[in-house]
Amino acid sequence: MDWGQLWEIVSAPDNVPIVAMLFLVPFFTWYGFRQALANDRLIERLSKDPELAKTHHRKVEPYREGWSQKLYVWPHLLRVEFLAAIIVTVILMIWSITLNAPLEEPANPNLTMNPAKAPWYFLGLQEMLVYFDPWIAGVVMPTFILLGLIIIPYVDTNPLGNGYYTFRQRKFAILTFLFGFFVLWLSMVFIGTFIRGPGWMWFWPGQTWDHHRLVFEVNRDLNEIFGIVNQPWVGLFGAAAVGLYFVVFGWLTHKLFVWNDFNRKIFQQMTLVQYLTLQTFLLVMWALPVKIILRLVFRIKYVMVTPWFNI
Amino acid sequence: MSNLVQRLLSWWRTPKLDERPVPKEDPIAKSSLATVTAIFSLLLILSLVWALYEEVWGLRPWISYQREFVESYREVLIDLKPRRGEEVQAIQALPGYQELRQAVEEAEREIAPELAEIETEEGLVRRQLAAISKTFTTERSRLQAAIYLLETASDAQKEGLEKELETLREGPYLLEIPDGDGNTETDEYTYEQMEEEFNSLKARQGELQGNKVELLREPTRRRREMDAYMNARLTSLTETQVDGLISGLDNFRIEIKQIHNPELGLVDRCESCHVGTQEPVLLTAEAMGGGSLFISHPNPRLLQIHDPESFGCTPCHNGNGVATVGTIEAHGRYKHWLWPLYPTENSEAGCLQCHEADRYLEVSPTLDAGKQIYYEGCMGCHAREGFDPEPQQLRETQRALIDLLTSKNETQLQIERTIGTADRAQTNQEAERLYAEADALTMSIAGIDTEFAHLQAREAGLMMAFKRVGPNLKEVRVKLKKEWIPEWIQNPHDFRPTTKMPRFRLEEDQVRAISAFIWQSGIEAELPRQPSGDPVQGKTLFETRGCMACHSMGEGEEATGGTFAANLSRVGEKANYDYLVRWIHNPKERTLPYCPIHEREITPEDYASQGLPFEFDLEHNQCPLGDHLLQVQQPTVMPRLRLDQEEARDIASYLMTQAHEDAEYAPAPYLDDPDLREEGRSLVQNFGCASCHEISGFENEGKLGTDLTKEGSKPIERLDFGLLTSQAKHDDWYNLKGFFERKLANPEIFDEGKLKEPLERLKMPNFDLSPEEITQLTTFLLGSVDSKFPETAFFQPSDQRKEIQKGWWLVRKYNCVGCHQFTPGQEATVLEELPLYQDPDWREQLPPSLVGEGARVDPNWLARFLKNPALEENNLNRNGVRSYLQARMPTFDLSDEEIQQLVRFFAALSKQSIPYTAPVLQPLSSRELTLARELFTHTAAPCLRCHATGDPVTDRDATAPNFLLIPERLKPDWTERWIVHPEIIRPGTNMPSGLFRQEGQRWVFALADVPSLRNYDQDHAKLMVRYMFQYSAAEQRRLTGRR
Repeated sequence: MDWGQLWEIVSAPDNVPIVAMLFLVPFFTWYGFRQALANDRLIERLSKDPELAKTHHRKVEPYREGWSQKLYVWPHLLRVEFLAAIIVTVILMIWSITLNAPLEEPANPNLTMNPAKAPWYFLGLQEMLVYFDPWIAGVVMPTFILLGLIIIPYVDTNPLGNGYYTFRQRKFAILTFLFGFFVLWLSMVFIGTFIRGPGWMWFWPGQTWDHHRLVFEVNRDLNEIFGIVNQPWVGLFGAAAVGLYFVVFGWLTHKLFVWNDFNRKIFQQMTLVQYLTLQTFLLVMWALPVKIILRLVFRIKYVMVTPWFNI
Repeated sequence: MSNLVQRLLSWWRTPKLDERPVPKEDPIAKSSLATVTAIFSLLLILSLVWALYEEVWGLRPWISYQREFVESYREVLIDLKPRRGEEVQAIQALPGYQELRQAVEEAEREIAPELAEIETEEGLVRRQLAAISKTFTTERSRLQAAIYLLETASDAQKEGLEKELETLREGPYLLEIPDGDGNTETDEYTYEQMEEEFNSLKARQGELQGNKVELLREPTRRRREMDAYMNARLTSLTETQVDGLISGLDNFRIEIKQIHNPELGLVDRCESCHVGTQEPVLLTAEAMGGGSLFISHPNPRLLQIHDPESFGCTPCHNGNGVATVGTIEAHGRYKHWLWPLYPTENSEAGCLQCHEADRYLEVSPTLDAGKQIYYEGCMGCHAREGFDPEPQQLRETQRALIDLLTSKNETQLQIERTIGTADRAQTNQEAERLYAEADALTMSIAGIDTEFAHLQAREAGLMMAFKRVGPNLKEVRVKLKKEWIPEWIQNPHDFRPTTKMPRFRLEEDQVRAISAFIWQSGIEAELPRQPSGDPVQGKTLFETRGCMACHSMGEGEEATGGTFAANLSRVGEKANYDYLVRWIHNPKERTLPYCPIHEREITPEDYASQGLPFEFDLEHNQCPLGDHLLQVQQPTVMPRLRLDQEEARDIASYLMTQAHEDAEYAPAPYLDDPDLREEGRSLVQNFGCASCHEISGFENEGKLGTDLTKEGSKPIERLDFGLLTSQAKHDDWYNLKGFFERKLANPEIFDEGKLKEPLERLKMPNFDLSPEEITQLTTFLLGSVDSKFPETAFFQPSDQRKEIQKGWWLVRKYNCVGCHQFTPGQEATVLEELPLYQDPDWREQLPPSLVGEGARVDPNWLARFLKNPALEENNLNRNGVRSYLQARMPTFDLSDEEIQQLVRFFAALSKQSIPYTAPVLQPLSSRELTLARELFTHTAAPCLRCHATGDPVTDRDATAPNFLLIPERLKPDWTERWIVHPEIIRPGTNMPSGLFRQEGQRWVFALADVPSLRNYDQDHAKLMVRYMFQYSAAEQRRLTGRR
């Protein structure tokens, strides 16, 4: 275990946000879930007791004598936000005093750094380049991520859960988001920071980043496993494989849409356009972990090989 | 502990949100955030204070440093002041000073009355001027403004303005002017009168001031003399100057002290912390609070040469000159700064980037030693700019010669064709035109021939100048004992710990194969059998002829002599006597000449096949097989001492006795095994033996190692630390210095732990360098940088200093410094330090110091002398100039270019111009001749008692050079200076001083009153010089009465 190396990575000024993220994101997820689950239990009680529901005005606590019926933004919200602003300012001040910008030596065109890493917020994108061609990882995927985030309100036909924390009423939305954020974004940032060393090789945390390390790693295309080596069969085979993926995973996704009565209700409120849009984005999203698994576990480089592009 | 566990458990068991008891009051509306807000507001303020602290002090440590400096410095100065006062007083008490002071006072007294008069009048004029000037200048401004208005006014307005102007001119102005008696006179003036008065007063004032300066000239000059007297005797500052420094400290400004030189792109703030570097008082660590922060620069002379205001600090020392936030940052000792401060022991590395062209610098002994080691070994495998240029130049010249030959042949063919065509031409006209063409081509061949001859001369010179690091291995069969070779290759340091030959990483069988190849590729020849000589006589010769300026004798601690060449303690174990005799007699002699065109040795058969006698030397260096030159000399720097065969035999016999008695070598029959030859050849190639040695078939081998010209700028990533990378990072030697030092101490270190085939392993051999040598080489490598400064910043003089730079390379190449001194600051020569020469009688036997040689001798003569120090063609076994010296000035077989370079070097060292034309001296009249003879042979100064005459009988006692050489050897003006002041020119010389004393403007013989000279009113020293410059053998016979 190379503790010195690990400490060097953890303590690099560049990586402070990532280390902070490792603690902050789980904490706030837990914090949100605590509230959401409490609300869910309250909702259950209210739905069992209509009397209570009648007197209930606020969403967290049952109504009590002497409690205000309404709380105003000013002062009740703003004072908390003001306090938060102070705390964040203090943190930023101390951070900026103690850690200087990590300036390096003048660039030398004859000598590229190894590993050459993007800023921490782009490390996820850089890691995606391992699994897809640049035009997919660098253009298509980011576009889908942005568009996907934009279309959420337009495909969301679930009327519940506005303005309060709840898990039970928005299971599908929350789980999908957490999957995208945790598995597909944060874990990729984590891999890019802590796992990828010289030559963008896979080093377990604590393993020494040896510039001379040699590993045996052979990647194949899917068609080679099946002994198909000639075009156009390679391309056609790839198209078929991709098609198969869309069919199988489309069917599985549809199964999620109609998982239980609640989901089915939501599903029924969808228009065809909403349904197809959501399917498309979800299928593209699932494709990433599928490709990661194919690559890391089965050492498959491309599923579809054509003379013009590869997937 | 259990308490903590309980608390943790209770926290874990906190009831869920909705199961907690409901508070009576609304927690959001009623709870107060005041405490939290107060705490964090306080923290915010604290962090602001922290930021301010960082801004003012934390990131500006130099502020407190400078405060500290002012305090300690003031103490030092206050402490120093009385001591300085004492010294000043002591000097003031000296009679010389008193005298000067009296002169000053006298001069001042003399002018006092006149001065007082002038000063009185000056005072009056000043007062009068003061009375006028205010009114006058005011009115002048008013008038000028009025004139301007008038000039620019319209015609209608002009009239009124003219009148106004007139009024202004008229005045009247009332002035109260004081006179000399203390009264004031009040008068009315017009403007014009006032102006006149003002101007005349001004003129008078100027006149008076001029008079005063004139009057004070003499006293001022005297005072200056007095001050100069004081300054010349002061060892440091005066009391007043110290006072000035102290009061300067009162106004010391705490600020960033910055040196900015836009030309170099230089911004250095080093002096913001190192405030005392340039102070005129020597500041020691002890006086300045113990640390080295405030000490003076350890070598103030360097700062005089390199004015810090333009050179700054970082060009020499490296480091981050801009940074001021802390030691690590400013010294650049962090990962991303590419030019970290040189460590103290390597600080001379900084000299190199600008002094790349210098071989020797007085102030950088470490760097100099590093260059020497590089020159003696590293250079074989590692190319580096400036080192070893000859092979490259030689190859280029040879290539050019081949091209010339080809074009000559082609031209000749073309001539034949043209003539042939002309012969068959249809018309006369056509034939004539073609013949003319052929003639033109023939002419061009003449041009080619000239160029060919020119280039060949250059080639011959380069062949002489070209030396190899190690000996010629073609001679092994005649030179060495067979059994010794494998033992030596296995580990040369076992046999001779100080040898430059390194230890390679060889397996037993590799040693055998290499030995076999070397042995079998050697030239087979029978050397003439030499009878044995007298070892006792040989030992004396070895110790007195000068061998020990380069060679040492004795093992381990007992070794005495120079380190430039091999230690000869055990040479008897390895060498063949016959070869040794030849080598000592003439090291340049080869068994067979080598032809670079045929790429083989030329044998007697080759000569015979062309019907030529088997004869090769510098005059007979044409290849019998073609129109090109042979390498006729051994590529060694070892010079010829011009010993005769007998002496060579004596020395060789002595050397053969230098062996361990119990030395035994296992028989090595495998050296003749032809099966090992091929393997040996590939190993020799692999390990680069031919980088240093001349080996058959490998004469043109290139350099095996990395080019080290810019090694000090190599990115650390380009250096292969192998499996030690992470260890190096962890142990903090992942830097250039760490790499160089470890690699030099153990060249195979970065192979550690690697699985490699034997021939793929790192090839660099182990030189078993001492830690000191490693530091020297590391300094040299660290300084070999790709400079970021413009070329103009480098020391590349175009005047004579360039010749000095170039000359040092030669002086070091041939180790002239083993015997001679060239500059006053140079360290003692090797011979000077030998035990033998500690004896006062033997001190006279030391080779001459060459300080001022350029001023002394005629450069043309010097060139002749360097070519053949015997100065005679046939009688070689002697010193040409100082025949009385046991030590011999060797014949170095320098190329003409090298000789010229040395001559220019000497001239430049003494600031003499080249070419030199000997001045024509006025011939002696017959009277002068008689006088001169009398003086020359006068019993009070018998010149010929010490000076050699060329006569073997008298010269036995001679301790000074031969007069016969003077006319062509010396320069008259130097000779005159020498006979007048020998002690000044060469302290410690045997030549007596005070031969002449000054009488008015001329020098007069001082040792005796010579009656006949009383009427001679000219300079006696000049007379002697003129006499000596017409001195001849005939004259000498006449004086000595011998033939």
